[in-house]
Order: sequence, then C-alpha cells, then structure tokens
Amino acid sequence: MSRINDVGGMQGFPPIEHELDEPPFHADWEAHVFALNRALLGQGVYNLDEFRDAIERMPPEEYLASSYYEKWFHAVTTLLVEKGICSATEIHGG
Amino acid sequence: MAELFAAGDDVRTTRVDPSHHCRLPRYARGAVGTVLELQGSYRLADDSARGIPAEPEPVYTVRFQAQELFGSGNHVVTVDIWESHLAPAKGTSDER
Repeated sequence: MSRINDVGGMQGFPPIEHELDEPPFHADWEAHVFALNRALLGQGVYNLDEFRDAIERMPPEEYLASSYYEKWFHAVTTLLVEKGICSATEIHGG
Repeated sequence: MAELFAAGDDVRTTRVDPSHHCRLPRYARGAVGTVLELQGSYRLADDSARGIPAEPEPVYTVRFQAQELFGSGNHVVTVDIWESHLAPAKGTSDER
C-alpha cells in the first residue's frame, strides 16, 4: 500500500541534476509558500508529519508532474481546507 | 524511556504495509540490519500524521547491506527507523 512518494529502489527515474550555485528559490512564489508553511507549522495549525502525509496523498500523476514547491503548495492548501481554515472555494477562487 | 536496542544489535524491520504515512521505506521492510546509533526519541510519525497521540520513542540509525535490500550491490544503506518498526533479528521472526 505504499504511496507514490516511496520510490526508493525503483528504476526508470533520471539522475538527480545538481544545479551549480542553485538559488534557495527559483521564483518569488516559492519563497511565499515556504514562509506560509513555516508560519502554519509554528502556529500549530498542522504538524510536520501531517504536512508530509498531505504531499504523499497527492494523486500519483499530479505528484510526479509537480515541482518541489508545487507539492508544498498542494499540501498547504489541502490542509487549510481539511483543518477548516479556508474553504476550497476561497482557495481556488483566487 | 528505556531503549530496546543498542549499537551493534542486529534487528529486523517489520513488514508493515499501511495505507497511511509511514517513514519506513518499502525497500527496507522485512530486512535485517545492524543498529549504528540511537538518534533520540520522537513521536511515531505514523501516529502524529493522523492526529493520534503518541509518546516519544527511540529512533535508531540502522545500516543494511545493499545485498539484503536489493539482492545485489556492494554498498551499504543507512535508514533512521522508529523502534515500533524494529524487532530483534534473532529468535522468533515476526510476520515473516
């Protein structure tokens, strides 16, 4: 019953590319997601294990197509709805 | 709390296969390795991910031979594993 994140020992993935002088973030929105997640963890809205779990619960096809911080954004919004902080309409309505 | 294992102990990982969050990777389930060191005590992630109260329990760094995990290879793999996912390697085997 392992989930899509549990790919250790699987073949078919390309080598990990190491970017020279990689910046912490590749776009401003990534920094915002990082800060938002730290704030919500700090406020106790959810814990780190719930956050990891929310990433792992992504639909496999979406998980594999998402970048690192896209997965974070997915988990943050999923948990905000599940914890009753925001409605799905509020999040997806822009 | 008292630790069940110490550095040098041979341990076997459980063959759990839950649908919930679990920090024991699939490739390291039901495998025999050796405890390298204690990492401290932490709440079982399986539980805290589901909002289940849990007392901190020992987490160990366990070293496996690649041969044991993948059937081949000359390298070693180390994984940090909660005590709930470990049993003594000798004596009665678990679900295996």
